[in-house]
Amino acid sequence: MRSMKSVTRLVAVAAAAGLLVACSGGSSGSSRAAASRIVKIGIDLPLSGADASVGISTEQGALLAIEQAQKKGLPGGFTLQADPLDDSLQGVHSPQQGASNVRSFVSDAAVLAVVGPYNSNVAAAEIPITNAAGLAQIGPSVVSDGLTLGKAAANLRRANPARNAFFRVCTTDSLQGAALARYARKLGYGRIYVIDDNETYGLDLANRFDHDFRRLGGTVLGHDHLAQDTQDFKSLLIKIAATKPDAIFFGGVTSTGGGLIRKQMFDVGLGKVPFIGGDGIADLATVAGKLADGAYFTLAAPNAERLPAARAFLKAYTARYREPIGPYSANAYAAAQVAIAAIERAIAAGGGAVPTRAQVLAQVAATDNLQTPIGPVSFDAAGDIQNPVISLYGFKNGTPYFISQSNLTTK
Amino acid sequence: MHEFLAQLINGISLGSIYALIALGYTMVYGIIGLINFAHGDVYTLGSFFSLAILALLGATGELHGPALLIDAGLALFGAALLCGIVGVLIERLAYRRLRNAPRLAPLITAIGVSFILENAMQVWKGPSPVPFPAILPNPAVTVAGVAISLQQFVVVGLAIATMLALQLFVHGTRMGRAMRATAQDRDAARLMGIDINKTIALTFLIGSALAGVAGFVSGVYYQSTWFFNGFGAGLKAFTAAVLGGIGNLAGAMLGGFLIGIVESFATWLLGGQWSNVAVFAILILALVFRPSGLLGETLPEKV
Repeated sequence: MRSMKSVTRLVAVAAAAGLLVACSGGSSGSSRAAASRIVKIGIDLPLSGADASVGISTEQGALLAIEQAQKKGLPGGFTLQADPLDDSLQGVHSPQQGASNVRSFVSDAAVLAVVGPYNSNVAAAEIPITNAAGLAQIGPSVVSDGLTLGKAAANLRRANPARNAFFRVCTTDSLQGAALARYARKLGYGRIYVIDDNETYGLDLANRFDHDFRRLGGTVLGHDHLAQDTQDFKSLLIKIAATKPDAIFFGGVTSTGGGLIRKQMFDVGLGKVPFIGGDGIADLATVAGKLADGAYFTLAAPNAERLPAARAFLKAYTARYREPIGPYSANAYAAAQVAIAAIERAIAAGGGAVPTRAQVLAQVAATDNLQTPIGPVSFDAAGDIQNPVISLYGFKNGTPYFISQSNLTTK
Repeated sequence: MHEFLAQLINGISLGSIYALIALGYTMVYGIIGLINFAHGDVYTLGSFFSLAILALLGATGELHGPALLIDAGLALFGAALLCGIVGVLIERLAYRRLRNAPRLAPLITAIGVSFILENAMQVWKGPSPVPFPAILPNPAVTVAGVAISLQQFVVVGLAIATMLALQLFVHGTRMGRAMRATAQDRDAARLMGIDINKTIALTFLIGSALAGVAGFVSGVYYQSTWFFNGFGAGLKAFTAAVLGGIGNLAGAMLGGFLIGIVESFATWLLGGQWSNVAVFAILILALVFRPSGLLGETLPEKV
């Protein structure tokens, strides 16, 4: 017994010593004073599971911006920290997990802004929480219209209708869907079959595409929604093959069926039919491999590799992570830049005092032509970016290549 | 007509995978009255084992001739054997001590085992879908205007052969008779000199090996696997077992094929988002009119 006790004590002492070392290593000087001089940016993205292939490269974009700001140093001697959390549960992005992550950000007084999430249905679960707390949230890639526009957005802001706390640096589903419809018509496709995954993002995108493609004189042969928890899409594809489409449109993401549908198209004789989707299938090749060739997708952002302003970012990113950027790395970098710049301005305006969430939120809303790798960023009253750009890509040997991009000034 | 046949064939291919999994559910339920919720994950494990064996053999693409037979055979039997062993271990470690406990205890344990398997697989192959090598050449034969792929022949053929072998085993061998006796009345069987523990372990071995076969087949058929696949497939296979009459082998096969065909036709006629609704609506209807399932008999109540 006695020896047990002494072992326990020894462990406790060692742990305490470890803690002390960790504290003094983290911040020089008195740790309590330093604690209140720490400001954090929460990051909520799918970092594991089927969405990790896009989630991690997005996180790396945000982390890069934060690391650069740390190196430069914040005004007033503040220490900037990133607090990344994973919103994947059982391998897929989860609105419940996202909401619980954002609640933990809200309960940490040092968190002054949130970057994320990646998926629109996760955002729909998070916006009411950040809205109620007045915590600025900046989405890098969430494109569903209802997050910022119309009745759906008003519903999300019920707790505090007058105070919008959600912003995004990408464009919307409807602009993306419309651009895809125009592009499909330009390629001469007249008959298209539309599929969506029945999620917030996919359904919005498919509906908008469906609507615009008809308006531009195209024929929508049918519009189907996918069931959850299945890996067999052949019955649907057999039905689609019978309609002899020029192309298949998919509203959804690779992990909710996009990847397997592209693969199974080859099993039912649809292998030569082009497969068109939004930014959700930018990582199509992770599942479909070289069968991704013949697929097209858009990104709700300009092609960072072509923007002169983005060269420094690209250089820093590849030097830091030794890999090419992901589809939304530049957007996440820009979103983090918005948050950092707002925090810095709030510190300066408060004369070096600890900024409040309300002050940071006001500064985010006031973002004016901030220079980012995706172009200058300013927000409109709804929290959407002004001067949105959509870029278009195809696949060659399982790798995306840039085709073109269009500037969509004012909506 | 052409599309009808294509959907029917697709439904049968899909259904044969459900049927193979459903057999394991129904065998275990028949013998110890436990709904083994970990069974769906043993199925996924089967595709992971086949994948690992194919990787060991260096099979990454299409195989031909003897290489195809040897590599595919090794992957198939290896996956079945390893899954069988896993099944026996699960029974020995998690269920045997709870055999006489209240029914809720082993049920919750089964859900726990399911989580353990899922997380182990997630650690093993990562949380993203894993591509499965397309080992089977895939020429299509056209019958009455419908293209049937070699894969579909293999999937359905393997499933039917396995099921026939199982029927012969259960109804034609001493061990099969011991299994049936144990299922009917465990205590009486023990009094007749049957080793209950061994018989139940054998049931788990065979049921899990069938899930291993299903795992291999689904890998070859879909060329993709994912640690979480067993959840959806397991649920539908369980539905198939109940639909056919849980505890009844022929019922599980019938149920499996029916569920596959219903799913395929519902997707065709009603749209993809209604396929699960149709499957479970059929289940409810069947149970309202035949509470013991399509082929299930109402057994005299055990005392």
